[in-house]
Amino acid sequence: MKNVLVTGASTTLGRRLVEHLLDHTDVDRVLGVEPPPASGWVNGAEMLSLGGDHGEWVETLCDDAIDTVIHCALAPDRDGSHDTPAEARVVETMRLGAAVGHESVPVRSWVIVSSSAVYPVTSHMPLLQPEDAEVGVEAAAEAESLLEAEAYARDVAERTPHLNVAILRLQQLCGPGVRGPLSALLSEPALPVVIGFDPALQLLAIEDAVRALSFAAQLELAGHYNVASSGVVRLSEAARLRARRTWPVLPFEAGPLAPLASRLGLPHVPTGMLDVLRFGHAVDTAKLAAAGFHPERDQRDCLAELAS
Amino acid sequence: MSDHPGPTRDRWGREVDAPTPAFFAALVDRWFRVEWEGLEHVPRQGGALLVSNHAGMLPVDAGIIHHGIREHTGRPVFPLAHHGFFRYPFVGRMISRMGGVVAHPDNAQRLLAEEKSLALVLPEGAKGPLKPPSERYRLQRFGRAGFVETAMRAGVPIVPIALMGIEDSTPALATFRVAGQDVPLTVNMLLFGPLLGWVAHFPAKIRARVLPPVHFDEPAGEEHYPRSVVMDHGEVIRGRLQEAISRMLRERKSVWSG
Repeated sequence: MKNVLVTGASTTLGRRLVEHLLDHTDVDRVLGVEPPPASGWVNGAEMLSLGGDHGEWVETLCDDAIDTVIHCALAPDRDGSHDTPAEARVVETMRLGAAVGHESVPVRSWVIVSSSAVYPVTSHMPLLQPEDAEVGVEAAAEAESLLEAEAYARDVAERTPHLNVAILRLQQLCGPGVRGPLSALLSEPALPVVIGFDPALQLLAIEDAVRALSFAAQLELAGHYNVASSGVVRLSEAARLRARRTWPVLPFEAGPLAPLASRLGLPHVPTGMLDVLRFGHAVDTAKLAAAGFHPERDQRDCLAELAS
Repeated sequence: MSDHPGPTRDRWGREVDAPTPAFFAALVDRWFRVEWEGLEHVPRQGGALLVSNHAGMLPVDAGIIHHGIREHTGRPVFPLAHHGFFRYPFVGRMISRMGGVVAHPDNAQRLLAEEKSLALVLPEGAKGPLKPPSERYRLQRFGRAGFVETAMRAGVPIVPIALMGIEDSTPALATFRVAGQDVPLTVNMLLFGPLLGWVAHFPAKIRARVLPPVHFDEPAGEEHYPRSVVMDHGEVIRGRLQEAISRMLRERKSVWSG
């Protein structure tokens, strides 16, 4: 890992990753890609914008002798700072995939940030979802576009034997500057608790996320990996640790009444969070642990780090 | 990682060693006066899959086995429950507090092979509580005997447990089909009404007999096992349980005092 290109470099995750690469690894050079207009140099990394043409990507990868590409622009939903529509992000991933798979480029490792949103949240899932668990599109349109991009990346990996493609499915992020759906919910003054349920939840501290991405790039991992900070935490315990009041809600308060409750400032279950608050959502990180990566934070650290 | 106070929790974030709720302990000890035999057959270490017959309107039998094994051997039992239970408020949380998890192959492997714990299945599933009165104490089909495959894959023995008495605590009179679902009518429902009748159980004496463990010669960790081998083992285990229950019924003098 000498010359690294990071996409989505203007997002919270991308920015932290660029900092980490420059400060804690022996990379020679980091190039950040962000939506136009590019802001020149930021903290020792050169920022540029690349147009819609995949030839332009190939040229950049060749000219700058990029050996590692870390793609943070696909799954910024857990971070909340992005407003590019999902479809455009998939197309951008495909364009990037076509470029890194091009025979003339020197890229050896392509790391893609996907998210645990690809796993359906149901009552019949295993308590910790392994990488080979069934993935589903029925849950959200978000999952659909992520899976489309993942499938494309796998295809690139198959056709390009000298390229290692690692797809990291990040659990819900938390940390300074992050406002993902789960960390936002846990930061509310009163936590909505669906009556009669105590789900297992899991967060990923942004430090661990950044370390995992850098780890995957350094080892040139290939395949799918789940990433989360250690352990799981039950909602009841999260409420106790964060000294939050709980507010019992009936399941239907997630439906048509949610926008009204939101406007009135009442605790409510945000759209898409109802199943998480009933059945929980946790992934199995054993595969990445077997590869040698161990998170530095656990769930209690994550909870402590949320803005109080 | 910092040092955090608080109760010990397992990898699924649940409190371990949470005591059995007092009311349930009293229900087991005073109401059903559960008596155990053959506890020496419960492995004191290593994983094992406990398999029992199933009856009654609520999974009281799972609770009785969970409580009894822990009281007598000090080992926690993790019931594997049908995912349908987890859809209902309170029910899923209650099963989870008892250590129960969704009966998913991944969860079973984790418990048995990785953590070397005791897990419990009731292979009759929903057919157990819905037996017609004529089928009392007759074990229903064990489906595809998936539990045999689970134990083989984890490389653990199966320990059958015959439970007698539950069926007399909620005697079924008939089973009806309402809106596409089988609904039983029990004596309890006639006496106490449809709602309380689900919960109220007669104080039938309950006996639990642990049978010798069944070990398998098949290698652990295989993806698939021959259907015929799995089914055969399933039938053998069902046969042993049925035999034990029939013998216990013959030895019984009274439904109420055992």
